[in-house]
Amino acid sequence: MTELVVSNVQKWLGGLQILKGASFTAERGSIVALLGASGSGKTTLLRCVAGLEQPEIGEIVIGGKTVLDGAKKIALPPEQRNIGLVFQSYALWPHRTVKENVGYGLKLRGVTAADIEKRVQAILERMGLGHLADRFPSQLSGGQQQRVAICRALVYEPRVLLLDEPLSNLDAKLREEARYWIRKLILDLEICAILVTHDQSEALAAADNILLLQDGRIVQQGGPQEIYSNPNSFYSADFLGANNIVRAKVRSVDGSRTVIGGDNWSLDGTVREAAGLAASEDARAVIRVEQISVSDRPEAGGLEMTLDDSIYLGDRWEYRLSRGDFVARAHGARQLSTGTVWARIPSESVWVFSAGQH
Amino acid sequence: MSTHTQAPAAIALSKAAAEKKYPAKMPRHGNAGAYRRIVIGLLALAVLAPVGLIVYQSFLTAAFFSPRAKFGFDAYQYVFTDKNFYRALGTTAIFSFGMVAISVPLGGLLAFLITRTDIKGKRLLEILVLVPMFISSIVLAFGYTVSVGPTGFVSLFIRGLVGFVPWNIYSLPGMILIAGLSHVPHVYLYVSAAMRNLPSDLEEAARTTGASIWQVSRDVTLPMVLPALIFAAALNILLGFETFGIPLVLGDPNGIMVLTTYIYKLTTLFGTPTYQLMAVVAVVLILITLPLVWMQRKLLRNARKYAAMGGKGARVATLKLGTSGQVIALSIIGFWLFVSVALPIGGIAVRAFVDAWGEGVNLLDQLTFTNFDRMLEVPSLVRGIVNTVLLSVVGGAAAVAIYLMVGLAGHRNWGLSNTVLDYIVLLPRALPGLVVGLAFFWVFLFVPLLTPLRPTLVSLFVAYLVVGLSYGLRLLQGTLIQVAPELEESARTTGATIGRTWKDVVIPIIRPGLAGAWALIMIIFLREYATGVYLMGAGTEVIGSLMVSLLQTGAMNTIAALSLISIVLTGAGLALALRLGAKIHD
Repeated sequence: MTELVVSNVQKWLGGLQILKGASFTAERGSIVALLGASGSGKTTLLRCVAGLEQPEIGEIVIGGKTVLDGAKKIALPPEQRNIGLVFQSYALWPHRTVKENVGYGLKLRGVTAADIEKRVQAILERMGLGHLADRFPSQLSGGQQQRVAICRALVYEPRVLLLDEPLSNLDAKLREEARYWIRKLILDLEICAILVTHDQSEALAAADNILLLQDGRIVQQGGPQEIYSNPNSFYSADFLGANNIVRAKVRSVDGSRTVIGGDNWSLDGTVREAAGLAASEDARAVIRVEQISVSDRPEAGGLEMTLDDSIYLGDRWEYRLSRGDFVARAHGARQLSTGTVWARIPSESVWVFSAGQH
Repeated sequence: MSTHTQAPAAIALSKAAAEKKYPAKMPRHGNAGAYRRIVIGLLALAVLAPVGLIVYQSFLTAAFFSPRAKFGFDAYQYVFTDKNFYRALGTTAIFSFGMVAISVPLGGLLAFLITRTDIKGKRLLEILVLVPMFISSIVLAFGYTVSVGPTGFVSLFIRGLVGFVPWNIYSLPGMILIAGLSHVPHVYLYVSAAMRNLPSDLEEAARTTGASIWQVSRDVTLPMVLPALIFAAALNILLGFETFGIPLVLGDPNGIMVLTTYIYKLTTLFGTPTYQLMAVVAVVLILITLPLVWMQRKLLRNARKYAAMGGKGARVATLKLGTSGQVIALSIIGFWLFVSVALPIGGIAVRAFVDAWGEGVNLLDQLTFTNFDRMLEVPSLVRGIVNTVLLSVVGGAAAVAIYLMVGLAGHRNWGLSNTVLDYIVLLPRALPGLVVGLAFFWVFLFVPLLTPLRPTLVSLFVAYLVVGLSYGLRLLQGTLIQVAPELEESARTTGATIGRTWKDVVIPIIRPGLAGAWALIMIIFLREYATGVYLMGAGTEVIGSLMVSLLQTGAMNTIAALSLISIVLTGAGLALALRLGAKIHD
């Protein structure tokens, strides 16, 4: 069931357009991630959904209720939108205990004190916070505060749960754990959640649908695997994954197959530029680091390259490769001695885009 | 290639299109717009009505309620041809600039010593340095009269030693010196704040390149705090133009007049109140002070810009003074404290408990409570004390509540009303307490609905409210801004209206700040003396204004007793403020 419809939301800030027509929908029991670099407008878009920012143009419907209509000049304040928002800083009220923080939304909705007590305790127990009900936020750890913030936003069963970089204030180990249980919780409770993040692994691991934002626009949307393995632009390709970016000239084009090359090297690749490419055009290729396999023995179809160094990363080795002006990184399980190596780079993994403007 | 050549044109085109198509803003619903407009509108009325009445009165030929009053420029003609007016104007200018010449270097030096060096007893000094700011200048001026005036305790002592008194405080230089010394805290406050924000790595960077402490102070520290110094200077010029107590006590006996005392004297000059002349001088005063306030506002913005450049949370490394440095620094501060705190307060403390003194009289033999006993026999004086306490304690709390309402109306307000508020708040700062009191006196006479309130404390309270507006509102806005926006936004997204958010989140969080603000407003109201001069009547006496009228009769014993009570009350207020954790350094 579609809980959230955002269509053509545009927002200006002092003459600068920071949202340029974002549209998407979100279903119950799924997580939509708004992914993008800082300044891409993802947090602004979330705040527009929450009613904390007022876009000038666009429509937003939450749970069947129109909360924003630019044409009819309808803009409901946040409290009439029936949403839950988890802030990056958690924004727990310092003067209220955990119980009072979580119960506030129920109190505002006129739930009886006994019911509040029951429902608050139930959700706290569920999150493993039952014993902390009477503490103040300052007496909790970062991870506990985050869970309280989620409880507070969930307890009154909002139609849409909005999460603004909820994991960025946690340390690395907690973060991986948290993104797992947040996903599990949302799927269990069958709520509709929007997650804003700049961290691609968070989006890939937690979301069902990823919207990649660039400069106030949604440039690509799709499932995690789709968006990772089938990018439609240089920005999408470059934003996700660990990549080698290669500047080259297009030698020849044959349908979607192409050959690019530079100083003393050439490589088979796939044209990914939507507008297509022409021979002798400047191009940029994106090759995911994990797509290059390196061997110290000659291999058929392998590109002969120089290994400048092997760097130990703990769980693997990173190889620094070069050939002329083609410089690349690759990973492998063991240390290789510097000198000549053979790199196998599948042509479908060499994504060729136009060089763009400078 | 073709795409390359076309791209810039396309961008330019879309930019122009975007500018042309810039759509109208969406209305903000549920942002308490009506509340904000009503509160700010009422405030505007409370501030603009008295000012408007002054301007109106200045163009009349007689008092506004008089049937003979006609529209005309007679009053302006009289004032602008009066030699005394120009003398007062000139004296005011000399007084203000002279005061700045003393207070700014001294305040800057004190700020440097206390914030940037390892001077001993810093915590105590930080509070002591501010004391003169909290005492009303009429009390201070009176304190100087009894200690270093022609027949003051210290003067007599010195005359006993050297045969004559080497100073005369009843002179323009004397007034300037005393005003300059007592306005040091105002400079200290702003400069020390700037110095605290100055990241010491800037100084350390200079030191590592080989500059000495003093070179660093001159070449790095001074230019960095220059905006704060300029701001403090502008503020003090403004305060100089508005000052009333010191010129009244020290200048008046020798006929030295400034603009405020000129207004005050106009009342008595003709036997009947000459409202139109007073209004003209008030208008002139406002025309001088308003640009000063406006300039200050611009300066403050620049100063903030400077402060923002410094790193946040930068650790301030202190300069080591060494033994001789400590002695010199402490002597400077000690001497200043002696002259501007110990001398006047000590003088009053002694004077309040003696009846007679002079050469060859042992003060210890003269100790008596008669001054207080006599005072308690006069009902108006007792009422004055009760009213003062009432106005500052209860009125102070009510004022904080009202400032809070105004503060909330301006809190995260993006509307036009916020700009109005910004300018409305500026106006009272340009109005000397004397003029505000006069204007409200007229308002309560002029508006039939308000007339019954004139002989009550309500009239004084409203005037005090306007006098304390800019300071009080700044205090509250300072606390409100400390509430992180997410704390409010999270309440809104949880389902609270803006009113509920203020009640359940904002106000509980700033409660400690409110208590501190209450204590500070209390002190402001305690020390106020000029506002009540015209407004007070039988039953609504307040200590400060009583002292002003008693000065005319020369009842020194009573003034001394009242001064001491005022100081004790202020001390209690200050202790309460510190106890409540008020940020007197803001």
